[in-house]
Amino acid sequence: MPFIDVDNVIKEYDNAHALRGVSLGIEKGQWLNIVGPSGSGKSTLLNLMGGLDSPSAGSVVIDETDINRLNEDGMARFRREKMGFIFQQSHLIPYLNALENVMLAQYFHSMSDEKEASEALGRVGLSQRLRHRPSQLSGGEQQRVCIARALINSPELLLADEPTGNLDRENTRMILELLKKLHEEEHFTIVLVTHDPFVAQWGQRIVTMEDGKIRCDELVCRL
Amino acid sequence: MSSFVVSEALATGFKEGFKAGIIWLVLIAYLSKHDRSSLIRSFHAAVLTVLMATPLFLVYYSGPPAKDAIRNFISFSFSLLLILSAASLYHASGIKPDGPLDRSDSKAFLMNRFILPPLIFFLTVAFFLPDMLGSGSFIKDLAAIKESGRSTYISALAGFASGYLLWSIIYRTLRPLWIGGFFDIPQIFLFLSVTKLLGGGTKGLAEMTLIPSVQRGFMKFSHDFIHQTFVFLMVPDHQLLKTTTWNFIGFFFGPNIAGFAALAGILFFPLLFLYYRLFRPLPDPLAETGAERRKVKSGLLFDRRKKALPVMLFVLLVLGSWFSESGESLSKLYIPKPKPVVEDKGLILIPLKDPSMDIKDGRLHKFALQHNNQEIRLLVINKTGGLSVCLDACEICPPEGYGQRDSNVVCVYCNTPIPVDTLGQAGGCNPIPLSFEQDEQFIKIGLKELLKKREFIPTGAAGEKAG
Repeated sequence: MPFIDVDNVIKEYDNAHALRGVSLGIEKGQWLNIVGPSGSGKSTLLNLMGGLDSPSAGSVVIDETDINRLNEDGMARFRREKMGFIFQQSHLIPYLNALENVMLAQYFHSMSDEKEASEALGRVGLSQRLRHRPSQLSGGEQQRVCIARALINSPELLLADEPTGNLDRENTRMILELLKKLHEEEHFTIVLVTHDPFVAQWGQRIVTMEDGKIRCDELVCRL
Repeated sequence: MSSFVVSEALATGFKEGFKAGIIWLVLIAYLSKHDRSSLIRSFHAAVLTVLMATPLFLVYYSGPPAKDAIRNFISFSFSLLLILSAASLYHASGIKPDGPLDRSDSKAFLMNRFILPPLIFFLTVAFFLPDMLGSGSFIKDLAAIKESGRSTYISALAGFASGYLLWSIIYRTLRPLWIGGFFDIPQIFLFLSVTKLLGGGTKGLAEMTLIPSVQRGFMKFSHDFIHQTFVFLMVPDHQLLKTTTWNFIGFFFGPNIAGFAALAGILFFPLLFLYYRLFRPLPDPLAETGAERRKVKSGLLFDRRKKALPVMLFVLLVLGSWFSESGESLSKLYIPKPKPVVEDKGLILIPLKDPSMDIKDGRLHKFALQHNNQEIRLLVINKTGGLSVCLDACEICPPEGYGQRDSNVVCVYCNTPIPVDTLGQAGGCNPIPLSFEQDEQFIKIGLKELLKKREFIPTGAAGEKAG
């Protein structure tokens, strides 16, 4: 059984169909990018995998747990243990500095550990910016804090929704290189949603969506 | 008088039932949390044994020797629990790192089958029997006051049943088994010690807790120890060392300092436990990732805090009760004027039925005998267990006599308080006890006894006055 098993998932909002029977299996440690135009259902699929939304029909099984059968507390615990999130907006707490933002994620998982949080920020190249607040950091630096925050609890699954959407090409490359390095070191599974073909090339597999369905599923060929 | 006796019996019975009920509830919660619910049978067997043994003991064994034995039994029981809780709190505090625990199945089997059941039985008996005997003895005394003792006994039984039922109802309706998660062996022992301290009194409503007894015991011990040390070192009885110095030393024997020392002794290990469990750094567990390590650590921290909570609660309970019991004001020293008594055919007779006084009113009464142109003073006071008759002097101080302040007689010379209930014990700063006989009309003291005991009074300028 794959690590993530999305089985014939349908998602309807009133009369609109966001997903029309999507099935997808993702192996543990794989980096999968979901691409497609706006309204194709890629973010909806990601939200269902993260348990941020529930399907109208079908199931999402992660690591042999049907996440739609979990109650609110169970889902929160599952997310805390298994998942890390990165969004287009950094969603950092504005009045906490970079270190405190990472420590907050530690706190909600178990307990905070300043040394470990500093090391995590060091790994994303921010060891000189620990005490800076989000407003004192550039967009690329903020996203790096988000990566440190998402990975601080050693998740098995990293869900990223347009993580470089707000960044220029140089910063985008920097973030992707960082993710690639961490992925190679820690072997977590990545599901990344993007509409940018440049970003899509960084994964191991690309799923292209259109009108709530998977149009194409291909492995990235690297020369 | 009748309703007073009934309410005293009811309250005493209720207190014992309440104690039994709350201990049963905590124990059943603890055992079920640790998958050892079957061991509750040992507790029930012990409670039944105590309930059967108490009346038998009280029927066949009575009088002052029985009361002394019960008092000693209560002290032993409280001390045993205190030592067990101190030792287990010390062990659990983490001061001494734990060795590897052997949790093999065969050990667990032996533990559950052969070690824990008799241990629970023994501890339950050791906890309940002295308290039940003490309260039973008190109820027996109450029943003797009243013409018909039946209503006294029925009230006590009703009180016991309602105290126990209260916790039974709480158990049936709320099923608070989750409280078992807050307890480990040290917390159980501490809970038992605190319950005994706060509910182990055996003098009805007048003394529901053991705190005054502990204070008195510690006061007496520290006083005798310090005073005898001074005597042993032969501190000269110089004018400069007279009242001021002894007053100063007496301050340390008093309820404030000695009482505080007793409190510190009781709370030392719980506070040590709290300090080590709450403020010492956690050990770093081995784990593959930082997140796993933090998770194990936070689990440990949560457990530490959870298990510290009852200890903290018990410390606060003891502190609160202690200071509410220590609210005795330093009232003025009461020194009655001695009433003259005479010797007749070698006996000194003190009337029990004197219209001008009630000798059993708990206040200090003094009497003076003129013998060969010298005055010999006696004191009589009613204490638990009956009258006590002593010389108005001790074996150490110049015989300036005693006054009374609250539940102590106080040496006028060195200002040392002596708990009234310890009168009759010889030695130290206690008034020199006298053997006596008592009938319906008189206390009878032999002149020979009086003159023999007078020899123990220190001689000297002040001694001349009395001797």
